[in-house]
Amino acid sequence: MHEMSMALEIARIAEEQLGATAPQLVTVAVEVGDHAGVEPANLEFCLEAVFSTPPFRGAKGMIIRSAGDALQLAYLEVDDGDPEDRGP
Amino acid sequence: MAIQRIEVRERVMARNNELAAQVRSRLAAHGVTALNLVSSPGAGKTTLLERTLDTMGEELGVAIITGDVQTENDAERLAAHTDRIVSAVVTGGACHLDALQVRTALDAIDLDRTRLLFIENVGNLVCPANWDLGEHEKVVLFSVTEGEDKPLKYPAMFERAGHVVMTKTDLLPYVPFDIHRAIANACTVNPELEFVSLSALTSQGMQDWFQFLRQATAPELARA
Repeated sequence: MHEMSMALEIARIAEEQLGATAPQLVTVAVEVGDHAGVEPANLEFCLEAVFSTPPFRGAKGMIIRSAGDALQLAYLEVDDGDPEDRGP
Repeated sequence: MAIQRIEVRERVMARNNELAAQVRSRLAAHGVTALNLVSSPGAGKTTLLERTLDTMGEELGVAIITGDVQTENDAERLAAHTDRIVSAVVTGGACHLDALQVRTALDAIDLDRTRLLFIENVGNLVCPANWDLGEHEKVVLFSVTEGEDKPLKYPAMFERAGHVVMTKTDLLPYVPFDIHRAIANACTVNPELEFVSLSALTSQGMQDWFQFLRQATAPELARA
């Protein structure tokens, strides 16, 4: 439940970052320090549950382990939705 | 299709901490001391608050915000002991209160008539440790029906608390609980902790609790 509350807060930050015209979210990368008081596997499970529901469409949670007590949303990866865009 | 990366680097607790700072500032402006009561479920938070309201409710201008996962039972119990508003927050499944809930609940409280605000958190020794609510201090209730090693099992809560209230001491003759060992364990986690031992049922030790509350509501502390 503790990790679920963190996952919900991460979803709120992600929504804020993406705005109303949110492109499709693909990856949610979260940095979790060894002393953050969070069980990484549980958080990953909760991220999967939270990001499988609208407005998200199956974004994948990714945990980045680090030393210390960091607990932060590191980055988001989005699909820009352009079928002609082949990338750089 | 192209995958783009958006760097965020935002602490998960940042928004809550910002709201907690707003709560703290608002309370300080009104000279209100806020104590965040935390414990396992069933440690006696509501009973302690009932006795406190009966004896000190008027003297200290006590207001209460209660948090529960479901039901407003605690708020209804407490409302029977005071004419002031007891603000109930039903978290709807969440295992802790957050600063936004407290900020919202404050809107229903007359802070000019309040000197002491209790925030009765959801019964849980894990999650509430991480959520700053804008309180002056976390106070952990630790009942003698629990294990002496609770502080070692849940160190974060005891690390972040200022006081520990040992509750239900009237049961000490009947339970295999070594209160000295329990206190030693708590001090291992946080040597700065101070302790009050009491039974809200028999009133033993309640005067020590009231004395602590009087000190905690001293104007120079409330506005700090």
